[in-house]
Amino acid sequence: MDSEHDETALEDDLRRAVARFDPVPAELLAAAAEAFTWRTIDAELAGLVFDSLVDSDASSLVRGPAERRLLSFQAGSLSIDLEVTSTASGRGLVGQLVPARQANVEIRVADSAVATEADELGRFRAGPLPAGPMSLRCSLVSAGPQAAVVTDWVTI
Amino acid sequence: MADNEPSDLVRAALDGDKASWEVLVQRYSGLVWSVARGYRLGAADAADVYQTTWLRLAEHLGRLSNPGQVGAWLATTARHEALRTARGAARVIPSDDVTMVALGHVDEYSPERAALDAEQARLDAERDARLWLAFSGLPDHCRQLLRVMIAAPPPSYAEIAAALDMPVGSIGPTRARCLRRLREQMAETAE
Repeated sequence: MDSEHDETALEDDLRRAVARFDPVPAELLAAAAEAFTWRTIDAELAGLVFDSLVDSDASSLVRGPAERRLLSFQAGSLSIDLEVTSTASGRGLVGQLVPARQANVEIRVADSAVATEADELGRFRAGPLPAGPMSLRCSLVSAGPQAAVVTDWVTI
Repeated sequence: MADNEPSDLVRAALDGDKASWEVLVQRYSGLVWSVARGYRLGAADAADVYQTTWLRLAEHLGRLSNPGQVGAWLATTARHEALRTARGAARVIPSDDVTMVALGHVDEYSPERAALDAEQARLDAERDARLWLAFSGLPDHCRQLLRVMIAAPPPSYAEIAAALDMPVGSIGPTRARCLRRLREQMAETAE
């Protein structure tokens, strides 16, 4: 119905409207440039393998209230299970390394980091943390083949 | 530098070249932002999706199976992250959020400015606002597709397909249908 020319012209108008009303915020461009400095080169990456927000259906027993989210990351034989709770003051974390390992755990949030420890049973907790991007860096005590592991970044 | 192939930029960034990383940020930020905003996320949630996507890329630089397709990887990652965030029940925003933003930004007529320039700027602003309003009223799939298609710089078809989880072949016909709807919506609001 519309000619290709009309379509392109309308897209150009829309592009201008987006540039006016909803451009990429300048502070986000700066934050993305900074993301580079968060890169870790000496740790194994634990990928996100389970997220109760998307990986559990309505009938699943795992799915709890929305303010309680379960995440699981995996690197080789080590998994890091996390329960994220949402409260008015921020996000709370309860974590578990499986198999149980003692570790120094650094919780990285967008522009800072919080340090805690996983006990001999592999358990740790932290919070309240600001909502937003989060990643864990676990330095294993009595390291075997995996000395340090970082998780994928997720928005909590 | 800006003409470099994506795979060269990824490789250089992996070697520690921050300038190459920044070229990647410049080239793909429009795409990542367009995906996040296409999901009707509020500004704060969209910002989180955008940031998480770039932080993820930083960790995945050396693990991309196809560094030449880093744009499609970013689009896919942003889409998954936007879906997660959209499902987080604690993060609901009023559906007219987008509209309010649009109306809030319309420039007032300024008598101090040279009359013709000001008048033209006002007309442009009004037209843009009307278009933005009509766009905001489109069905989700149309808003998502058009928003990604007009990202600056323009994404490739592979990147658009990754952003929308849609076969490349259906992008063209859907685009034509959605632009037609946008035109109809504009005509309605003009009355």
